[in-house]
Amino acid sequence: MTDPVILLQILWTGIAMSSYFVLFTVAFALTLKVEKLWNFAQAGLMGIAFYTMFWSLNAAHWPTWAGIVASVLLTIGVTIGMEIWAIDVLRRRHSSGLIFFIFTLIFSQFVAFLLTLLFGTEPETIFPSVMSPVRIVSGIAVSDWDLQAVGLTAALLIALYLLIRFTRDGQFMLAVADNEKLSEIYGISARRAYILSGVISALLIVAGIWLYGTRAGVTPDVPVDLILTAVIATLIGGLGRVFSAGMVAVGLALLQSFSILFIASKWQGLLLYGILFFALLVFPRGIPAWRPRRIQPAPKPAAPVQAEG
Amino acid sequence: MTQEILRLENVCKRFGGIVVADDICLSLHAGDVLGLIGPNGAGKTTLFNLISGLIQPDAGRIYLQGHALTGPLHRRARAGVARTWQHMRLFRTMTVLENMLVGPRNYPGESLLRSMIGTPSVHRAEAAARDRAMHVLERMGLTNTASTIVVDLPFGQQKLVGLARALMNDGPCLLLDEPMAGVEGSNYETMQRIVRDEAAAGRAVCVVEHNVSFIKDLCTEAIFMSYGRILKRGSVDDLTRSRELTELYFGTADA
Amino acid sequence: MDYLASAGVLIGIYIILAAGYNLIIGYGGLNTIAHPIFFALGAYTTALLAIGTGLPPVICIAAGIGVAVIASVFLAVTTLRISGDYLLIASLGFQLGLLQAINNLDFTGGPSGLSNIPVTLSGPARGWLYLMITAALALLVIWLVHRGMSGPFGRAVRAMRDDDVACAALGRGLFTMKVVIFAFGCGTAGLAGGMYAYYFQYISPEQFNVAQSATILTMVVLGGIGTIWGPVLGAFVLVALPQVITFLQLPSSLVGPLQGLIFTSLVILFLFLRPHGLVGTRTPGAAH
Ligand SMILES: Nc1ncnc2c1ncn2[C@@H]1O[C@H](COP(=O)(O)OP(=O)(O)O)[C@@H](O)[C@H]1O
Ligand SMILES: [Mg+2]
Repeated sequence: MTDPVILLQILWTGIAMSSYFVLFTVAFALTLKVEKLWNFAQAGLMGIAFYTMFWSLNAAHWPTWAGIVASVLLTIGVTIGMEIWAIDVLRRRHSSGLIFFIFTLIFSQFVAFLLTLLFGTEPETIFPSVMSPVRIVSGIAVSDWDLQAVGLTAALLIALYLLIRFTRDGQFMLAVADNEKLSEIYGISARRAYILSGVISALLIVAGIWLYGTRAGVTPDVPVDLILTAVIATLIGGLGRVFSAGMVAVGLALLQSFSILFIASKWQGLLLYGILFFALLVFPRGIPAWRPRRIQPAPKPAAPVQAEG
Repeated sequence: MTQEILRLENVCKRFGGIVVADDICLSLHAGDVLGLIGPNGAGKTTLFNLISGLIQPDAGRIYLQGHALTGPLHRRARAGVARTWQHMRLFRTMTVLENMLVGPRNYPGESLLRSMIGTPSVHRAEAAARDRAMHVLERMGLTNTASTIVVDLPFGQQKLVGLARALMNDGPCLLLDEPMAGVEGSNYETMQRIVRDEAAAGRAVCVVEHNVSFIKDLCTEAIFMSYGRILKRGSVDDLTRSRELTELYFGTADA
Repeated sequence: MDYLASAGVLIGIYIILAAGYNLIIGYGGLNTIAHPIFFALGAYTTALLAIGTGLPPVICIAAGIGVAVIASVFLAVTTLRISGDYLLIASLGFQLGLLQAINNLDFTGGPSGLSNIPVTLSGPARGWLYLMITAALALLVIWLVHRGMSGPFGRAVRAMRDDDVACAALGRGLFTMKVVIFAFGCGTAGLAGGMYAYYFQYISPEQFNVAQSATILTMVVLGGIGTIWGPVLGAFVLVALPQVITFLQLPSSLVGPLQGLIFTSLVILFLFLRPHGLVGTRTPGAAH
């Protein structure tokens, strides 16, 4: 039927393209797990991260590393500020889920409007050109961008895994995710865990938008679309399972890539939302665990098993 | 012979590995006040949930006045199963009277259109429900609380409102889940009086209660449950005199 | 002065949207955010009929309401057993999926939308006429919501929001109630869509996206969820204040984002300064 080389090519490109989906999804799933927060404000963070890099490299003509550092610092700064001055205030007021939903979404819109005012609505990229050198590996085109994307994503995920698995802060983060009250009794600061998860997410977001913005144009409205994909992957992956959400993101990206063979590309968005809708109809409480067991063993202090799905 | 109201035949239910109802057979007649005692986790609340339709049994049958009792919660409530909740479950943004007015079996407001237009039949049914509610409140001495938001009442009175709301359902079967927990003084006496009157009026009442003296004063008979099984049915004195059951009760209760 | 009429019509339309949505989320406690898609279905159905058939406006709008109701019943029947956050996300999937379809179909005009909706009611008083009609409709919707929620039906709906299990155990059939309030609330969104299409004569998919969900939700919550006048006030304030800068004669490329900035800043401000809504109430927000 279809040439296997073409299939392999689609597979490879799909994997490379899934890199930023994975990063955004893991960032979203992590704050959801630790902070119990559907953090749509991450769309705003994406916008901030992107336009900081764009401005420092294209308008201020800073060196690349300086642009990245500036973007990391600003994104983390905004994350921490939002945590302290907004999210924490709402949390102490015992605000309803709707209030958090409104705040995070409206924050993203605020950022989008601000960026529109500052930078307009033309698609921009981090570097003037989105081309990257290509080599042919046994008939498959592999670009530098592809390699960078896959490498960066893998490195960040491994680092995150190691952090959660082997550092005290990582374990504390899981403990807070499992049971915030109980962890506080054991002397673990929930706030510290929240901020840490926010900072990690901010880093993943900067990396993700770097990959996206070196490959495709970004407008102030793009981040909201990106966050919606992350929401879908998180939901299908199952709440509280950060890495399986990441895997679902890869799966969704591949599904979209391969769907080119069957349906017109303009219907791919519909495919995604269709999957979301029907996944929820079949599993009204999220997908039950399909992994044999959680990646991380339960941390020592927090005994109760987290209620999942 | 009084009329049989409720009948359970070989009702079984398990949650995962735990058996919470193990071949339960039970019969309840008009005018009965049956006590249901047993340690925490014995499956008493679960039994009420099975009867009222919150959960469905794995096996067995339940009959109300000879008709099979099936379907979800609201069908069974309309068929005539009234119940209260261990944790009250009052409608916390609503007044006492509003709480009660949700309860009649023949509800005037099921249709949005009729409710909006306010047809004469709606008005009649509302007026009747209001009279009934005020009458119940009067019997409880709560008339002056009718327009208080329920969460502003003291705990004991909230418990009474829970009962009052259930009494809006004029069905033949009344299930009370720990009506006395946290209730003292005059509220205690009111509760006792109301339950006695309801039974005297021909309802079949089943009461889960840890307060043994309450059960003793009120119940003709009681059953003792443990691990989802009915260990014994008999007079309250028999049950409390049984060494075995007392040990089971107090040995497990607050372990 | 047409400015004023135009702003007034917009406010009226948002009042209808917010009042209907309040019924669903504030009284019913059903956390969906798909309200704009029923607005869209009303607008598109009305517009397509007006363009293609030239039927009288009343019939076109009635058809728009009908389509919105049918779609809402479909969504309700399929998703109402889903609860809490998941319902919110499922409704989002429904909204964005349908929007994608509108965006890609040919007869809906795709991303550029429909811009050839025929003029209905012309002449110098057009704006004011529309304002009267919209205001009347908005009042009607508010009155209907009030009527519906103050009677026995509304009492059962509020009971369901407070404790669905206890409500069902008293004999109230929750499923039917949910479907009915969903259909009613979404039907009013269809009505708002019909009015929107006729007055503004231009609709496009991006007017009905997640940002619109956030807008309507914000009006309801910040106005005072589960109250009659809260959403009305919320809609009024949040539409009217950003309109103020249209008097400043700024270039049009600035007006859009500036209005957006004002809107979002107001929301964030109110969120922190008036957490219980502009119309203070002890009614808690929808269940979460
Ligand atoms: N919905 C449920 N799912 C799983 N287990 C349940 C459920 N409801 C009750 N149980 C379990 O069934 C047992 C009996 O509970 P219950 O009927 O509430 O006891 P009690 O006699 O104290 O009222 C308990 O072990 C409880 O944990
Ligand atoms: Mg119990």
